[in-house]
Amino acid sequence: MKYGWMVLLLFLLFPGCGEDESAIKVDLSIKEQIVIKEELGVITYAYLPQYSHTVSHTRHHSLIQYLRKETGLNIKQIFPDTFDQHMKMVGQKKIDISFSNPFVYIKIAHRYGAKAFARIVEMDGKDSFRGQIICRADNSSIQTLSDCRNKRWIAVDSTSAGGYLFPLGHFIDHGITKMDFKEIAFAPGPGGKQEKVVLSVYTGKYDFGTIREGSLDVVVDRIDINKIRIISISDSYPGWMYAARKNLDKKIVEKLKQAFEKLNFNRKDHREILEAADFIKVISSSDSDFDSVRQLAVKVGISLDE
Amino acid sequence: MKLGFRGKIYLGFFSLLLIQGLVIFFWVSHVVKESMLEELKNRGISIGISLSARMVEPILGMDFLRMKVLVDETVQLGDDIFYTFVLDEEENPLIHTFKQGFPVALKTANTVLNNQKGSIQLLDIGGQLIYDYAIPVILNDNRLGTLRLGLFRTRAEKAVNKIIIYVVVTIIVAILIAGFVGTLLLNPVTKSIKKLHESSEQALMGNLDVRTAPLLKRTCWETMQCHQKECPAYKNYHHRCWYLVGTLCPDCVEGEYAKKIDSCQQCEVYKRCSGDEIQTLAESFDVMTLSLKDNLSDLKSAESILNEQKDLLQMILDAIPDFISLQDHEGRYVSVNRAFCEMLDKNKEDIVGRVNDDLFSGNQVEQYNREDKRILETGIPLVKENRVPGPKSPKWMHVVKIPVSKTKDRVKGLVCSGRDITRLKAVQEQLTQAQKMESVGRLAAGVAHEINTPLGIILGYAQLLLEDVEKKGQMYNDVATIVKQTKICSKIVADLLNFSYSSESNIIIFNINDAIEEVLGVVEHTFNLNHVMVKQEYHKAPLLMKGDKGKIKQVFINLLNNAFAAIGKNGNIFVTTGIGKTQKEIKVSISDTGIGIAKENISKIFEPFYTTKSPDQGTGLGLSVTFGIIKEHNGTIEVYSPPLSGNKEEQGTQFVVALPSGLNSV
Repeated sequence: MKYGWMVLLLFLLFPGCGEDESAIKVDLSIKEQIVIKEELGVITYAYLPQYSHTVSHTRHHSLIQYLRKETGLNIKQIFPDTFDQHMKMVGQKKIDISFSNPFVYIKIAHRYGAKAFARIVEMDGKDSFRGQIICRADNSSIQTLSDCRNKRWIAVDSTSAGGYLFPLGHFIDHGITKMDFKEIAFAPGPGGKQEKVVLSVYTGKYDFGTIREGSLDVVVDRIDINKIRIISISDSYPGWMYAARKNLDKKIVEKLKQAFEKLNFNRKDHREILEAADFIKVISSSDSDFDSVRQLAVKVGISLDE
Repeated sequence: MKLGFRGKIYLGFFSLLLIQGLVIFFWVSHVVKESMLEELKNRGISIGISLSARMVEPILGMDFLRMKVLVDETVQLGDDIFYTFVLDEEENPLIHTFKQGFPVALKTANTVLNNQKGSIQLLDIGGQLIYDYAIPVILNDNRLGTLRLGLFRTRAEKAVNKIIIYVVVTIIVAILIAGFVGTLLLNPVTKSIKKLHESSEQALMGNLDVRTAPLLKRTCWETMQCHQKECPAYKNYHHRCWYLVGTLCPDCVEGEYAKKIDSCQQCEVYKRCSGDEIQTLAESFDVMTLSLKDNLSDLKSAESILNEQKDLLQMILDAIPDFISLQDHEGRYVSVNRAFCEMLDKNKEDIVGRVNDDLFSGNQVEQYNREDKRILETGIPLVKENRVPGPKSPKWMHVVKIPVSKTKDRVKGLVCSGRDITRLKAVQEQLTQAQKMESVGRLAAGVAHEINTPLGIILGYAQLLLEDVEKKGQMYNDVATIVKQTKICSKIVADLLNFSYSSESNIIIFNINDAIEEVLGVVEHTFNLNHVMVKQEYHKAPLLMKGDKGKIKQVFINLLNNAFAAIGKNGNIFVTTGIGKTQKEIKVSISDTGIGIAKENISKIFEPFYTTKSPDQGTGLGLSVTFGIIKEHNGTIEVYSPPLSGNKEEQGTQFVVALPSGLNSV
C-alpha cells in the first residue's frame, strides 16, 4: 500500500517524461539563387480576369485538361491581373488563346490582330449576354433608370462589356450620358472585379453598379443576393469568345476549334467540363459576329485604341 | 523530537500543499510545454494554411511581388518565424525570405502529400530547433505548389520556461498564502484541542474541576429573558443549559442530557448558542468531567461501604474457627478465611487464585478434584469426615461442600467449610473406651463377687493351716505363700469391686482435711522410713463435703501411694487443699518430686490395668478406681507432669482433684 502511494505520486509528478521528438539535421550554409525558367512549346491560354484567378482556374482548369488531351498541345492557363494586361499580353504573344468578352475582343482585334475562331453558348442557351444595373434593394432613391442620375456608379472595368460597356450603351439609349453621373468608378485591383462591384453596392459604398448578367450567382455564397435589386438590363450582345493571337499557327487554331466543337453537353464527362466553365457549348465564330459591339463602342464614344 | 498535534497538522497541511504544488507544477509544466508545442504546431499549420490560401492567386498569376510581400509579411508576424518559402509543383523554389540565397537542403527536408493538410518536421539547424511546416497549395485538386514555414522551437521552449517560472512563483505564493490562511483557521482549532488535552490530563490526574470551554458569551437567561434564579443554568457561565439536569425551562423535557437533548435542539437557545464541533466538544467535556466527578464521589462512597462490608464479612469469616473457602466453577479459590490459611500454613495471597493441584499433594488432589467436579456437575452438596495430615499429628475434619448457583441451571462455584473435630473424635473414642471398660468392670465385678467368697474360704483355711504347721518348715513357707498370694487376689477382687462401683456407698458430710489426715496417719510412717516427707498445707477452714468418706480416702491413698512409688526414696510429697473455682468446689492437690510421667503415657494412666510397676507391686487399677470414685462424686481429676506450680526443670507429677462439696457452700 505504501509503495502504491509512491507510485501514484511518481505518476502525478512525472506525467510527461518520455522520448523527445527526433530532429533532422539540416545544413543551411549551402545556398542557391532562384532562377525561373521559361517553359518552351507552351500554348498559353488566358481567361479575361473578370473574376478572381481562383474562379478563372476553377472554371477553365478542366476545360484546359480536356484541350491538352484532345489536341495533344501543351496548353497552360495563365492569369493576367487586369483586362489591360490581358490585352497587352495578347499583343506581346504571351497569350496565345484569349477567352474574353466581345468588347475586349474588338480591342485586341483592332490593336493586335487577334482573330475570333469560336464563341460560347451561355447556360441559358443564348450565344449572347447582357449587362445588369443593380442597387441595394432598400435604396429607395433609385427606382428607375433615370434615378441613376447624379449617383455614384461602380463599374467592373473600363474594358468590361457586360460590366460597363453594355450598361453605358443602355444609359445612352435612355438619354443618360457619362456626365450625368456623380461619379464613375471601376473595381480596384486585379481579378474578382464582378464580385467587387456587387460587394461595393451591397455595402453601400456606391449607389449602383453594373455587372455582367449571371455575376450575382457567383456571389450567392458570400452575400444575401435578395438585398440586391436589378434596376435595369441592357440589350443583348454576342457572348464571350475565343480568339487566337496574331500569327498563331492555324493548325493549332484548327485543332482547338475541332476540340471545342466536339464538346457535347449530353456527354457526362463533357458536361462536367462545360458546367465548370459555365457554358454549354462552344460554336464556331468569326470576326464579323462582333460588329454590333463595334457599333456600340462607337455609340458610347469609346475609342478602340484607348 | 515527537511532534505535537499542531505540529502534525501543520506538517500534514504543508506537506499536502507542497505535494499539491509539486503535482500542479509538474502537471502544469508538462501541460504548458505540451500545449505550447501543440500551439506552436497549430500556429504554424494555421499560418501555413492561411498563407497557402492567399498564395493561390499570386501563384496562378505568377505574381512574385505579391508572393514576396506575403512571405515577408508572414515572417514579420512573430520573432519565432524563421523563414517562409514557396516551392512550385516541380519542388523548385519560387520565392523565399532568406536574404543570402535559398538553403538548398531545406527543399527536401520536409515533404507533404496532396491529401495531407500539412506536414511538420523538426529540424536541427545547429544549435536551434525548428519546426518546419509543409503545406500544399492546392486549387481544385490541382497542386500548385508547396508552402514551407519555419518556426523556432527553442524560442517556444524559452517561453515555456518563462511560464514555468511564473508557475513556480505562483505556486510558492499560493502555498504561503494557503499556509497563512490555514494557520489562521487552524490556530483556534489547535488551541482548543490543546486545551482539551490539558484538561483531559488534569482529569486523568484526578482534578475534575476543569474549565475547557471558554466562558459563555450568549446565555440562555439572556436569550429567553429568564429570571429563575433557582435554575441550575441561571448565571452559570461554564455549562450550557442543555447539559444540565433540573433546568426550569418551560419547554424543556425533564431529565438528563440523553432525555432532554431532542427537545433542547428545537429551542431558540440551542439554535443561537450552540457553537461549532470543537466548542461543543469542549463544553460536553466539561459537563462530562462534572458528571464524572459526581459519579466518582458516589462510587467512592459506595466503595467505602462495600469495603466496610467486605472487612466485616472477612472479620466474621476469620473469626469463625471453622475453615471456609469459596471456589469458582473452575475450582479456583476465590476467597478463604484465616482458619483455612492456618490449616494450609499459607498466606491468603498464596491461596487465592490457585487450584487444588497447587495447594495439596498426592491423593488429596485427586480426591478433592473428584469431589469438586461431582458437586459442580450434580449440584449435590457433600458432607464428610476427613482425616487429614496435620503439622504435628493427623487431624479429623468435618467437611461440608455446598454448590453456589448463579442460575438455576448453572453452578457458579462451591463453598467449602470444615471443622476440626479431632478432640471430639478423641472424646468419642474415650467414650467408647469407657463404655467398653464399663462392660469390663461389670464383668469383673460379677467375677469378683463370685470369686470373693471362695477366696475368703481359701484364705481362712490357709491361715488355719498356717497355724497348724511348723513355722520353720517348707510347708509353712508354702502355705505362707498361698496366704500372701490369696491376699493379693483378695486385694485385686476388692479393687475390682470398687472399680465397678459395686461396693455400696456410705454418704456422709465430712471434712476433707480430716480424711487426708487419717490417710496420712496410715502411710506417713512407711514414707518416712524411705525419707519421703509429706508436707501439708490445708485450707484454714474445714472443707466439708457430702460424699463417701471411705472412697474419698481410697482416692487419696491411691494418689499418695503413686506419689511415693514415683519418688522411691528421698523426696517430698506436697498435699494442698483449698476452695476451687467456686465456693461449692473443693480442690486438693497432691504433687511429688518423683520421676514424673512421660508425655505419651499421660493419656493412658487412667486406663484400667495400665501400670508401669511390676506385677507384684501394682494391679494397674489404682488410678482407674480413683477416676471412678471422683467421677462418682461428680468431680474431676487433672494430671500435670511436671507440676503446674513447679519449675519446668523440676521433676514430678501433680494431681489436682476438684470435688463438688455437695453443699451450698464449703
